[in-house]
Amino acid sequence: MAANTPVVQADNLVVKYGENTVLNGITTSFGAGEIRVILGTSGCGKTTFLKSAVGLVRPFSGTVKLLGREITDPDEPATQEVLKRVGVLFQGGALLGSLTVAENVALPLQMHTTLAPRIIDEMIRMKLAQVGLPHAYGLYPRELSGGMRKRAAMARALALDPPLLFCDEPSAGLDPVTSAGLDELLLRIRELLGITIVVVTHELLSIEKISDRIIFLHKGTLLFDGAFADARAIESGPIADFFARKEPSAALGAAPPQFAVENNS
Amino acid sequence: MDMLHTTAAVPSDQPVDVVAMPPSVNRDWLQAQPALVRRKPDASLALDFSNTTQIDSAGLALVWFLADSWERAGRRVVVRNAPEHILGMLRTWKSAAPTTVPAAAVEPNVFVRLGDAGAAFWEQCTLALSMLVEMLYWGSFGLRKRRDLRKGALGDQMYQLGFKALGIVVLLSFLIGIVLALQSALFLKAYGAGIFLAQMIGWAMIREFGPLMTAVILAGRTGSATTAEIATMSVNEEIDALRTMGINPIQFVVVPKLWAITLTMPLLSIIASAAGILGGYFVSVFYLDISSSLFWGELVKYIPFGDVSAGFIKSVAFSWLIIWIGTFYGFKVRGGAEEVGKETTASVVTAIFVIIVADAVFSFVL
Repeated sequence: MAANTPVVQADNLVVKYGENTVLNGITTSFGAGEIRVILGTSGCGKTTFLKSAVGLVRPFSGTVKLLGREITDPDEPATQEVLKRVGVLFQGGALLGSLTVAENVALPLQMHTTLAPRIIDEMIRMKLAQVGLPHAYGLYPRELSGGMRKRAAMARALALDPPLLFCDEPSAGLDPVTSAGLDELLLRIRELLGITIVVVTHELLSIEKISDRIIFLHKGTLLFDGAFADARAIESGPIADFFARKEPSAALGAAPPQFAVENNS
Repeated sequence: MDMLHTTAAVPSDQPVDVVAMPPSVNRDWLQAQPALVRRKPDASLALDFSNTTQIDSAGLALVWFLADSWERAGRRVVVRNAPEHILGMLRTWKSAAPTTVPAAAVEPNVFVRLGDAGAAFWEQCTLALSMLVEMLYWGSFGLRKRRDLRKGALGDQMYQLGFKALGIVVLLSFLIGIVLALQSALFLKAYGAGIFLAQMIGWAMIREFGPLMTAVILAGRTGSATTAEIATMSVNEEIDALRTMGINPIQFVVVPKLWAITLTMPLLSIIASAAGILGGYFVSVFYLDISSSLFWGELVKYIPFGDVSAGFIKSVAFSWLIIWIGTFYGFKVRGGAEEVGKETTASVVTAIFVIIVADAVFSFVL
């Protein structure tokens, strides 16, 4: 990949679920080493964008390139090769419940490398220490709290030292303290590893803290692509409503029926 | 006249029906007024709230329902003499009321429905077949990528799918053997043909009931577990996580199960047949007074190798059907917990049905 090639590049991406268009012509690109936050209200297509970026959802038209390679079906060998260089942190962690935390973190290493088991074991301990979970080595996911599960999933996502990490709502369902801890972790990972991090979220505090740039999706279209401060400066429309935590009036449905009121008193 | 909305008042030359509302326009009152809800919008309607002091959400819904229905019929509903707090509630309700009535979907005719059902069935068949091909590929040629097979997974699955089912398989087969022998003994004894019981039980258990009973038990036990496991993994995004790690979920989750059941099912069938024969042995010895040596002698003499191999072939085929169907229904799940239960049930029912159909087919060809 050339030095100036975008790490993530979506070109006129259209995704449909049946007749429903979820993403409508998204074109954007993310550079190396940045933390890019994808935000928007619920149902705007954030998670669908992430899923289509890693091949879990097939685009109706348009393309997504990760690290300079087009992503198609995740079961195809060419896409699998790219995905080995991409970490994904799912909303619920998606740790395999039948494996311990260490086995989960070891999985990509065992599957995609021929490293000696002792080296893999050392790497697992290193990754768990990186995410602040050195004591969770032998625990099962069910024995972890929500925040710990996400940290363990982060360790697994970072196992192969990917240059690109996707995080789907890392703060969802977490208390503010744990959520802030995860934000710190993302910043530290970027600082230590210099990787590109794409975060899907609608947590205003997180966005403010971690984002270098944001893209704002609204009803499947890209409304804004730029710096967070510039987005905050917008005074009206869905972006301003989002930051003001205001429900757009259009969401209230059609006009109600009408009746007259007579007051004789 | 205060206008809650921009609406024209009822022209004076049009008839207006007046309904006097009670002091409490609430759920209890409304339940006793079915005629009001069924009323036809023949004329504009005035709801007189002069005596009303209270209204609950059922009462508010009634006002909006009538207003909506009358408006669509080109008539007006007039709220008359309502106290300010009731008007306030109506105004609040207004902002939250989703009042659009979706257009009634056009009921597709029988040909469209048949076509849709056919297309859906074809899609499911294609999906099931592609899954079978993928399963067989990863279970055979795909094994060359030895690194991709989890260490210890095969042994663990053999323990889970095979060994843990041993007790129930043995018990049920033993009981089937006893029942089969007892039922047959009644006739055989009457014709003095009790000696043939050993041959009959052996033949029936080895060729038919051993593999079939084991398959039915494993369809309920292993098939449901496979569907539920894969479906739960789908719901928890674990399958997606595997895909994004460049790991094929069929290879990772299904192949160890496929090999485990392929290896354990014939063993379980043999053990089930043995347990059934043992049940028959007890009936022969204690009910028909056949000597032990005669029973085993007759059994060994009349059981040809063909019957043993037929039982073996059946049990392997049944094991593949169980895993295939369990896997197919597991990967079908897209929703939440409710769909996991639904597909698990469907998986077991389908597996048992397909196994019995396959058994009937085998009866002709083997």
